[in-house]
Amino acid sequence: MTALLLGALGLTLSLIVPGPLARARWTARAPGATVVLWQSVTLAAVLCALGVVLAAPEELVRAHGADQTFGVAALVAALGVAAVIVVRLLVSVGLVAYRSRVRRARHRLLADLLDAHAGLDDVVRVLDGGLPFAYCVPGRSPRIVLSQGTLRVLDTQQVAAVLAHERAHLSARHDVVMESFTAFYRAVPAPLRSRAPLDAVHILLEALADDAARRRHGNGPLREALQALGGPVGDLELEPHDAARERRWRLDRLAPGAPGTDARLSAAIYAVAAAILVLPTVLLVVPWLDRAMHTWPL
Amino acid sequence: MSGLGDLEREVMAQLWDAGEPLTVRQVHERLDPARGLAYTTVMTVLDRLAKKGVVTQQKADRAYRYAATQTREEMTAALMFDALSAAPDGAARDAALAHFVGRVGPDGAAALAAALKAAAGDR
Ligand SMILES: [Zn+2]
Repeated sequence: MTALLLGALGLTLSLIVPGPLARARWTARAPGATVVLWQSVTLAAVLCALGVVLAAPEELVRAHGADQTFGVAALVAALGVAAVIVVRLLVSVGLVAYRSRVRRARHRLLADLLDAHAGLDDVVRVLDGGLPFAYCVPGRSPRIVLSQGTLRVLDTQQVAAVLAHERAHLSARHDVVMESFTAFYRAVPAPLRSRAPLDAVHILLEALADDAARRRHGNGPLREALQALGGPVGDLELEPHDAARERRWRLDRLAPGAPGTDARLSAAIYAVAAAILVLPTVLLVVPWLDRAMHTWPL
Repeated sequence: MSGLGDLEREVMAQLWDAGEPLTVRQVHERLDPARGLAYTTVMTVLDRLAKKGVVTQQKADRAYRYAATQTREEMTAALMFDALSAAPDGAARDAALAHFVGRVGPDGAAALAAALKAAAGDR
């Protein structure tokens, strides 16, 4: 029974919850809490999978009253599958972290060599070229890379807002959050995984960086920068559809009269996030462990 | 930026501006001689840049000459293209870099590559 309930919960968390949660509008008013909620949902789904793997053989053994040898074999098999799940996750985390590190090191090196502003700032690098863009290279030695085109298109206040946005990503280590979701996505077998958490968390982290930038420089400059940098370059429409949708969502949050962040909503979301992690453990896993202690050949 | 980082950038600038392979001595002479930069320091920097793959070492006339592997424009274009185009595998969002606004799609990347090529040709 425990295995069935954990399985149902795990499937609900990994297949049913992500869609509506990604589409929900209230998340715009509590981006930080919603990121934590996504983390809790994802972690709980993994724990449910592990719970099923460990509980199902034990419950079968108990139901059928099998002998000692079969019980030992079932226990070993269960632990083996659980170990495979954990190792697969850890390998994925390691691979994503390694690939990111290599790509970032290359970007840091080239941006430093190409910097047209000659060490104006420890972190900011300016590249030649008219195409307006801005991005950051996270890590222990971070960089913010802008193009000359960005400096031409934006005024000082708008550039300051963009820099504040990027600095928020860097200091809050949003890259670590993003990497963990990417690693999880890659570790899950194709029929069970969903892009929804990855995309939802990405845009929520953008919202968090936007909030940090607007606290320092106001809504106006940030909104203008978002309009200027994502728009068409000359007559080239470079932005793909999902990026255009994300930008519109961020612009709506910054529009005059848009609702700001909501502390009470955030508190409620944090409570739900904690409950998703704690309640299944208390209600399902602890009673099962209690029973299993008598069945497992330990 | 660290002192060595500054020096790496200046040495690259000399190689790019020269447009032909330079010996360590030539690079040393072209860098501001008044700042008392040691010859061996310049050699170390060139060596580091060669290890990082942005400079090649060639032996000609019994002397080692150094050249940038790409022109400044090529390197800028390559960096921008890597930064702005979508992740090669496409399946998962690449977590390595964070962009202020979304990157360009496959169509945009092709258009961007053409635009960058044209821009590099203009110089
Ligand atoms: Zn951002």
